[in-house]
Amino acid sequence: MKWLRGLVLPVLLLATWELLTRYHLVNVRLLVEPGRVVATFLRELREGELLSQLGASLARDLGGATLGSAAGILVGTAMGTSRFYDRLLGSSFHAAKQVAIFAWIPLMSVWLGTGEPAKVVFIALSAFYPVVLNTFEGIRSVGSQYVEVARVFRFTRLQVFRRVILPGAAPSILAGIQVALVYSWLATIGAEYLLAAGPGIGNLMIDGRESFQMDKVLVGVVLVGAVGASISALASAIGAWQLRWRVTSA
Amino acid sequence: MATPGIIEIIDVKKQYTVDGENLQVLGGLNLSIQPGEFLSVVGVSGCGKSTLLRLLIGLDADYEGEIRVGGALVRGTSLERGIVFQDHRLFPWLTVRENVGLGLTNSSWSDAEKQKAVQEHIELVGLAGFEGAYPHQLSGGMAQRAAIARGLVNRPSILLLDEPFGALDALTRSNLQQELQRIWQTEKISMVLVTHDVDEAVILGDRVVVLHARPGRIERVVEIDVPHPRDRDNPQLKRLADEVREAIVGPHN
Amino acid sequence: MTQAQLVNGLEEAAPSSVVAAGRRNLSGALHGLRRQALGAYLPLLALGLWALAADRHWAPPQILPAPRLVAQTLGELISSGELLQHVGISLARVAGGFLLGGALGLVLGTAMGLSRRVEQYVHPLFHALNQVPVLGWLPLAMMVFGIGESLKVVIIAQASLVPIAINVFEGIRRVPRQYVEVARVFEFSRAQYLRKVVFPATVPSLFVGLRYGLTLAWLSLVTVELLASSEGLGFLIVWGRQLFQLDLVLAAIVSIGVVGLLLDQGLAWLEARLLHWRPKASWGGAKAGAQ
Repeated sequence: MKWLRGLVLPVLLLATWELLTRYHLVNVRLLVEPGRVVATFLRELREGELLSQLGASLARDLGGATLGSAAGILVGTAMGTSRFYDRLLGSSFHAAKQVAIFAWIPLMSVWLGTGEPAKVVFIALSAFYPVVLNTFEGIRSVGSQYVEVARVFRFTRLQVFRRVILPGAAPSILAGIQVALVYSWLATIGAEYLLAAGPGIGNLMIDGRESFQMDKVLVGVVLVGAVGASISALASAIGAWQLRWRVTSA
Repeated sequence: MATPGIIEIIDVKKQYTVDGENLQVLGGLNLSIQPGEFLSVVGVSGCGKSTLLRLLIGLDADYEGEIRVGGALVRGTSLERGIVFQDHRLFPWLTVRENVGLGLTNSSWSDAEKQKAVQEHIELVGLAGFEGAYPHQLSGGMAQRAAIARGLVNRPSILLLDEPFGALDALTRSNLQQELQRIWQTEKISMVLVTHDVDEAVILGDRVVVLHARPGRIERVVEIDVPHPRDRDNPQLKRLADEVREAIVGPHN
Repeated sequence: MTQAQLVNGLEEAAPSSVVAAGRRNLSGALHGLRRQALGAYLPLLALGLWALAADRHWAPPQILPAPRLVAQTLGELISSGELLQHVGISLARVAGGFLLGGALGLVLGTAMGLSRRVEQYVHPLFHALNQVPVLGWLPLAMMVFGIGESLKVVIIAQASLVPIAINVFEGIRRVPRQYVEVARVFEFSRAQYLRKVVFPATVPSLFVGLRYGLTLAWLSLVTVELLASSEGLGFLIVWGRQLFQLDLVLAAIVSIGVVGLLLDQGLAWLEARLLHWRPKASWGGAKAGAQ
């Protein structure tokens, strides 16, 4: 029954919210009744807009994340397997990482416009960083002890890469992708705020704000949270899957 | 598959440079290993015994002198020479069966022949039933058995063992020593065992080479003239073990 | 697990040697100068290419300002004191929000960590709210707080609060059993136990939370300033963009990077000073070691 304790606060919050709005204790424009929010949600869902907005956001997210991850694996592998590339790219990479990623958007909007390509590129960028770092680290950390075994068995360089380095680095790479999934959702929302053209959940929220429709905004918040939670769950599932053959430590 | 040839170590010297200083790890080693022989190498830490093994297996080519197997110079690794490391080095993402089969990746055998060889060797080391297990599911002793199977599967003419039981508890160790003795008698290939455990060296080896450290040089070679299979409690072995211990502690150290 | 937790755990558990290389560079290691030089090769090449492109007008100057111009603009901003002004405003906001969020996060994390009851009541709601990424709250916050200073502080506070609360909470829960048992053998009172075992053992986790929180705070600040501000580094970017003065935009970007770096390094230095007793090997990471 202890889990009921967890419900106490949310219920309290909800009740307070309902009271405040019903008895007009707060400016109604600012705070809408919970009932209204649900009604708006259902209406938007019925009129089809909500799904297309959500779909647009998710499509961008997926596209960008895939692009960024693929590029990240490539670059991370290059840096991890070749001292040359590591030294060449390493410090530039570290320097670029310092800049809060959203700062690049205005610049990108000049070069790429404010349409889909700009958003997808930006999302790809946000996925790129963690994947590169983790791929690089994963490849580096594949112990030389395994590579030595491969040498004793006369593996060709390609074989060493495919059968030793990649599987050894796989957990790290997957970890990077998990992080990338989370970051890219964040980037999707941010991109929709900053490059406010086209459909999307972020746009829904901006619209709501501009037309002072709190219910719309709240629907957006809930959706963003729900998708975020699903993505975290997906990421955790990926983590659990790849843990099959590893010793489960704390 | 090859019949073991004579392994000749001719005047091998190796040094490391650490912080600008030269460390002479091996200082002119001369040794011959007969085909089918079991050679034990003992010595204190730092005497270069593991280094010697790395040179023999071909992972390290930076030394002076010559190493020949069956007359041919050793250049790099070869499927003719297998090795078992102290940390078993089984690939965590492969099952026991796949790990053992690793040595056959580049062999020209058919799939059926490979499977047969893998199964045979898994049974040889006593791991029947564990073919589908992952390394993290195995105990240290079992993992080491798998490593031995892996080292033998492609029938090298010599198997090198670098302190293979060093990380195991005493009971498992003595168990595996018996096993190794049995495996060696079955496979009839040359084996070189590096260990710091004198009893292990004596019970397994036809000869025990005692190295002393800095520079690594052969202090003594003790012949173990006791027929296999050997009994741990044999008084002759005990005497020989004492002889070896004396040589380790001896005047030069 | 929340997004913040996930990212936090995964990022911190994989100390990249790229990052390490960056830090070594910064502490001015002179070893392998030649190796360092290779790292400079790419930026120099890029710089050269950029200068060439600007010179030859491969793109209109509004889209591709010459590096010379960017440097010049940066210099002007610094000498006129304008840059310092904007940096100061941005930093003040971060400081306010981070301190607020940090304090709240610390209290929350400690309360949840020390008391199972509190955890049972609070954690579910906390966890649910964390599913919304920081930016998700922005439009809502803008409606409630307007676009003034309070908006920035609130957003930054929220961004900082989450990782700090989570890390403190988990730090307290993950005090290694060995130490707990020692405390029991010595029959520590609860106060002693907390003071001598729990809190010192939690400090490393706290710092992980602080580092991550600060990064998130800086990120949130920049985003908010991009959307709703008339001052600060983020605003500089927007302003420059609107005037099509990309040299200004780039100068601002560089400044953001530098300040972000300094903040992170500052915290790292503090961490190193306070945690000098930490053994080199890190215990408790999401990444299991390769056998």
